[in-house]
Amino acid sequence: MKQTEDNTQDQQDLRLLRESAQTLFARAGGSDRARKLRDAGGRWGDGMITELAGAGVFGVAVPEENGGLGMGLAAAGVLAEEAGRVIAPEPVVATIGLTIGLLYRLCPDHGMLEKAIGGETVLATAWQERGAAGVAPGRDCRFAGGRLTGAKAWIAGAVGADGYLVVAEGDGGAVLAYAEAGAAGLNVEGRRQADGSALGELSFSATPAELLAEGAAVEAALAEAVSDTTALAAAELVGLSGRAFEIVLDYVKTREQFDKPIGAFQVIQHRATDLYVMQEVAHAAVREVLSSMDRAAAGPQARARLASRAKARAGVAAKKITRDAVQLHGAVGYTDEFDIGLFLNRALVLSAWLGDDTYHRRLWLDARDKEGAER
Amino acid sequence: MTDWNAMTDEDFRREVHQFFESEYPEELRHLPHRPTFAEVEHWHRKLHAKGWVAPAWPAEYGGMGLSAAKLLIFYEEQQRWGVNRGRDMGVQMVGPLIIKFGTQTQKDYWLPRILSCEDIWCQGYSEPGAGSDLANLRTRAEIDGDDFVINGQKIWTTMAHDATHIFMLVRTDPDAPKKQQGISFILAPMDQPGVEVRTIRTLAGETEFCEVFFDDARTPRANLVGELNKGWTMAKALLSFERIFIGSPSLAQNALGQLEVFARGRGAFDDPVFRDRFAQAALDVEDHAALYSRFADQLKRGETLGADVSMLKIWVTECFQRITELMIEAAGPDGGTIGPLQVGNVSVDVLASFYKARPTTIYGGSNEIQRNILSKAVLGLPG
Ligand SMILES: Cc1cc2nc3c(=O)[nH]c(=O)nc-3n(C[C@H](O)[C@H](O)[C@H](O)COP(=O)(O)OP(=O)(O)OC[C@H]3O[C@@H](n4cnc5c(N)ncnc54)[C@H](O)[C@@H]3O)c2cc1C
Repeated sequence: MKQTEDNTQDQQDLRLLRESAQTLFARAGGSDRARKLRDAGGRWGDGMITELAGAGVFGVAVPEENGGLGMGLAAAGVLAEEAGRVIAPEPVVATIGLTIGLLYRLCPDHGMLEKAIGGETVLATAWQERGAAGVAPGRDCRFAGGRLTGAKAWIAGAVGADGYLVVAEGDGGAVLAYAEAGAAGLNVEGRRQADGSALGELSFSATPAELLAEGAAVEAALAEAVSDTTALAAAELVGLSGRAFEIVLDYVKTREQFDKPIGAFQVIQHRATDLYVMQEVAHAAVREVLSSMDRAAAGPQARARLASRAKARAGVAAKKITRDAVQLHGAVGYTDEFDIGLFLNRALVLSAWLGDDTYHRRLWLDARDKEGAER
Repeated sequence: MTDWNAMTDEDFRREVHQFFESEYPEELRHLPHRPTFAEVEHWHRKLHAKGWVAPAWPAEYGGMGLSAAKLLIFYEEQQRWGVNRGRDMGVQMVGPLIIKFGTQTQKDYWLPRILSCEDIWCQGYSEPGAGSDLANLRTRAEIDGDDFVINGQKIWTTMAHDATHIFMLVRTDPDAPKKQQGISFILAPMDQPGVEVRTIRTLAGETEFCEVFFDDARTPRANLVGELNKGWTMAKALLSFERIFIGSPSLAQNALGQLEVFARGRGAFDDPVFRDRFAQAALDVEDHAALYSRFADQLKRGETLGADVSMLKIWVTECFQRITELMIEAAGPDGGTIGPLQVGNVSVDVLASFYKARPTTIYGGSNEIQRNILSKAVLGLPG
């Protein structure tokens, strides 16, 4: 049957891709690398970006005709999981989902896409704005006459990026513009996060920028890209919590108190089992979401709903698993010398980024209500 | 000397509040980290001059001698105003033990120095192989003339790098038939060649606890508290002080106050789901206080606390954690951000509260151990 053969080929490609990402991250030093880069100031490794690009990581979900691998979100999710397992500081998900997600949808012929896929440039995408109580509902940042004015917030990978994709308001609606790092009137401030990374706050005053796309297509592409990124962030969380679970499982098997491994106490066994079940549910949910999102039939609203489902589940699991893992380690879990704390901190950041589980449960239900009403 | 207990609760609360409001340094309010003594020294001097360093100690030893009800009010006001506990291991832990088991000479010598913070104490119980299973401790103290000679290692010793003295459990009889026997409680100076302190960084990036190495360190035999080889029973008595202290409502109350300020600023109270979760947390804190005062009264009547005191710690520490998790939720996209977050004209360090809450279920006897205690010693479950 042709169908199965194709699937098998796909599965094989996927496995190869996963393995090369695994090898790359392992060779570069796994989670130790995350700690070192954090202590060195929180930026990612440039060499790593090049190697990841070489392995095809950034173009994984870009259609083949636009210079990507055309393997879809499910494949991107596999890579996000691997990044999560080693708490990689590289903005893998933000680059695949937001930056490249916008570029291939809105301006596939612009040279920028190829450079981003090839890891020659690392761009950060600025789309949210700060309001009085969190994310502002509207957009105040303006693009007119080739210049940007206003501010953007919560930008992953902003500090050290080569340039910025900025979603702004133009005369004819939404605009995607490009501003170079160091452009006149551009100010970048990094807000330090629990994992040592920074979320950027950008401000523009008559900053020169290039118009990449405008109109309704920008809104549509943004919505799609945000859904993709949200689902991929969920996959990163699942990778992270999966690894955190392995670490704690190993620990309770070896740490002895009262003359036996603490994993011999039934309380610990049940706790570990609960975490295991939670991880498996999250893993299954996120994988199902990613492949459903790849299906042509899934419209933008359904994709947004699916992404929210994934982020809600993965956020709950990662928070619970990393926090319980610290508890089950006892005091060593509260140190910076043991890896488990790195996982807890990274989970905090990834869970807040693009909305936490409470937020996404609400979006999920809103989307479901709306789809129900339309049906 | 004022008899605080004779005042009405309202008068006492006003008095305490007024003192904090007028005297407590603004820059120390809601301090996100554990301070060194140098950071809080100017405040400690004021507190000492006022005679308010040890609210729970009997007046004859320089304490305020507060009744349970008054003590609760004191802690409540302290938390409400964001007053830091300072370096209080002496007052909270070793002081009560000396009062209970020390000789008159020990009381006369050590207690005033605790109150004045001339001596700053750290707690040397845990070892790499002796955490929950504390009786497994190996650090040795051998008698040599008028001294004990100490060899071994302690770990997780909070603020040891900023302490002058350590109170510790050591093994004085390695041949005793049971692990719990042959352990003694001694006091030792830190400033000597045989004591080496290495700080350990926490996952919050703070330097809060340490490893302490003893290599032929010395302390006079006169610094043995209670009987030789009887340290375990005393330490257990101290643990019940510790448990009622960690089980007190203060940390959760303070966090709840911070949560309320922060969430109002962020508009979270418009959300019915948040309202419900806030109400749950607030009632968890209030109802816990009711349970707490039952135990505190028992203590004031001079009764020893039973194993059931463990429930205070379980309840309040887990409640504290939930409150700080709610803060993170209310922070939304700023939930992973280090440092104070501005809301209106105040700022709240959400992550610092979250980090502070994490180890409360680990130290002072982990919550798993407390549950073991309740199920065996209180509920009488077999096994
Ligand atoms: C911030 C902080 C400050 C501290 N300050 C001090 C200090 O100043 N002085 C000091 O002496 N110590 C201090 N400690 C140490 C603290 O007392 C120990 O961490 C605690 O006793 C637990 O021991 P452990 O860390 O070795 O964990 P372990 O005993 O190894 O426990 C690991 C996990 O196994 C669980 N477990 C263990 N035994 C059982 C069992 N029988 N049944 C079920 N579960 C079990 C525990 O609950 C925990 O979840 C501090 C700890 C922290 C985190």
